[in-house]
Amino acid sequence: VSAQDVYLVGLSHKSAPIEVRERFALTGDTLKAALVELRATDGVQEAFVVSTCNRVEVYVQAQGDAAARRFFTSRAAQAGDHLYAKAGAHAVRHLFRVSASLDSMVLGEQQILGQVKEAYGLASAAGSAGSFISRLCNHAFATAKRVRTETDIGKGTISMSQVAVELVEKIFGDLKGRSILLAGAGKMGTLSAKALASLGADRILVTNRSVERGQALAAQVNGHFRDWAELQRLLSEADVVIVSTGAPNYVLTREMLAKAMKARRHRSIVLIDLAVPRNVDPDCADLGDVYAYDVDDMQKVVDSTQEARKGEALRAEAIIEAEVLAFSRERETRAALPVLIHLRRRAEAIARAEAARTLSIAGASLDERGRRSVEAMAQAIVNKLLHVPTVRLKESAASGDGTLAGAVAELFAIDAESGGGAERPARASQGGQPDAGPGRAAAASSDRN
Amino acid sequence: MSIVILRIAAALYAVSTAAYVLYFARPKHPRLAMAGATTLGLGFLVHAVAIGVGCSEFGGAEFFSLRGGLALMVWLAAGAYLLLNRFYHLPTLGAFITPFIVVTLLPALFGTPGHPELPPDTLRHPTVTVHIISAVLGVALFAIAFGAALMYLLQEREVKGKKFGVMFLRLPSLDKLDRMVQRLVRAGFVVYTVALVAGTMTATAVWKSAWSWDLQQIVSLTIWLLYGVMVQLRHSGWHGRRYALLTLVGFALVLGSMVTLKVVPGATRHVGDYGTRVSGGAQ
Repeated sequence: VSAQDVYLVGLSHKSAPIEVRERFALTGDTLKAALVELRATDGVQEAFVVSTCNRVEVYVQAQGDAAARRFFTSRAAQAGDHLYAKAGAHAVRHLFRVSASLDSMVLGEQQILGQVKEAYGLASAAGSAGSFISRLCNHAFATAKRVRTETDIGKGTISMSQVAVELVEKIFGDLKGRSILLAGAGKMGTLSAKALASLGADRILVTNRSVERGQALAAQVNGHFRDWAELQRLLSEADVVIVSTGAPNYVLTREMLAKAMKARRHRSIVLIDLAVPRNVDPDCADLGDVYAYDVDDMQKVVDSTQEARKGEALRAEAIIEAEVLAFSRERETRAALPVLIHLRRRAEAIARAEAARTLSIAGASLDERGRRSVEAMAQAIVNKLLHVPTVRLKESAASGDGTLAGAVAELFAIDAESGGGAERPARASQGGQPDAGPGRAAAASSDRN
Repeated sequence: MSIVILRIAAALYAVSTAAYVLYFARPKHPRLAMAGATTLGLGFLVHAVAIGVGCSEFGGAEFFSLRGGLALMVWLAAGAYLLLNRFYHLPTLGAFITPFIVVTLLPALFGTPGHPELPPDTLRHPTVTVHIISAVLGVALFAIAFGAALMYLLQEREVKGKKFGVMFLRLPSLDKLDRMVQRLVRAGFVVYTVALVAGTMTATAVWKSAWSWDLQQIVSLTIWLLYGVMVQLRHSGWHGRRYALLTLVGFALVLGSMVTLKVVPGATRHVGDYGTRVSGGAQ
């Protein structure tokens, strides 16, 4: 039987394709039921499940990861090939990295922390998260917050529509008094138009080959529909043009733009081509006061911010390493305490018992003061004998090393799991402790209590 | 005495430059920008004291030399930037202006302040003071316009060239920079016009002629016309890159002529021989 510890079994965008991931994406009541079921499994003390569209991860405080594994294999047999499993500090580190968005598809995205918080809230509500999961999660949140404030990992642009906003911002500042033209009904275009509306554009014009589709789109983005035949004239009106049609050729040619620039007296215009294949002739960018970007250019902006964030990620990893260490130290200190308590209680019980035995034999020849002295001597021997081990044990536990606590438990046959102590010194001193590895078990017990 | 105070001001300007440049490199620390603005403000005040002491020491003669003129321009540019920063909040512009301030102040820091001779009493005309201050303030505004135009061109190169590097993340939007250049050029033009009017009044009073084909007069009129044309071009739709380039050319001309005229001896009556070449027109 393996020791009581934290185990993680999961799959993410890095290990499993979407077809596999979507089978485990549990939410709300189904997730709650799953948590209750996990908690009810033998050997599982606490459980907690992070379930997003990019990952499903089961964290358990248990004797092993069998239950967590079963969570996946019982739902889909083929999941086994995509699972990763971590234990102890590795599992802790993983949760910290996930919360700080270092394991995300888009490095530094902001959503994941909220999702982990939600997962923890759900586990608390389902009663599957106890004091250990609670400490683990709170430490993860604090770590994520530290990473966010001490590094620039969350800075910079992320999605295409945000890139569009960023580019337009760098050219116009804001869009007050300006208008946006949305040409074509592509999904990315619609999203970008909506995002750009946040810059305060005066109006959004929408044009599309199909009138019906165009009008629906105009209603969706709060815009005005214009006929596709007016495109040339619209170019002299709009300051930002988002093109995303399904056309296989250039919808906006250099000639059209040259003509439009004359009509607009060379007021700047931004062309954002979100179509693949491209809809805007790349030669348009050579014209003065024309700022033209295609999907690849926008990806460059994403990459440039990702590149900048890679350096930040290194700093973030250092923070996480420090926090994982701090967490394990705290854990080990907690783990060492019950061993100490048991050790001291047992020693004191022995001292008391031996003093009583001595006094029962020779007590008659002693006065009250003499009897006190015998008791005090027994106690003093215990104190002096245990002083150095106590200090050493505390020190080693504080430095994150649990082996000494384990050794003491092993050496003195302390079974922290039995939770007894001084009341049952006899059983313990007889060496009767059949179950659980001592050191880790002590840790587990402290976590549970 | 005034040179010592001026050196203290220069040291403060240098600290401000360091803070602004650091801020440009690490925009995550707004305190650096604040430190830059604070030390710049302190430098400005100390510099004001230096100017006051200098005036009492040399009776204002130093402003007729290149060194004194440059130092005055630096002082006004610092003041103008501080004012601009207060209304538009442009800490990144500080990284462009403060190095310019320090470099321009360098010649004024070494040697004795240039005051070849005290100006004759004929020059103790109130229009002279107006002329000098407005001329220098005009040039200071052109200098800041130059800085903003430089920022525009750097930013434009990245935005239009799709190379999203250092400038892209740090500089304000093209539109903002463009408007800034335009406003500074216009304000500079207005102030410079005042300088020309005051100068003409002085010339009429002292040299008995409004126009005497003095080289400084010719250059000043050319600069005034150039910036006048720029103000006009703006109204007919000029903007962006072309306008920024024009601003650079304009200021290069201003600085070049300023230095040349002061360095070449006898090129203009504005240096030294205030009264000797009085004539009724040199045609």
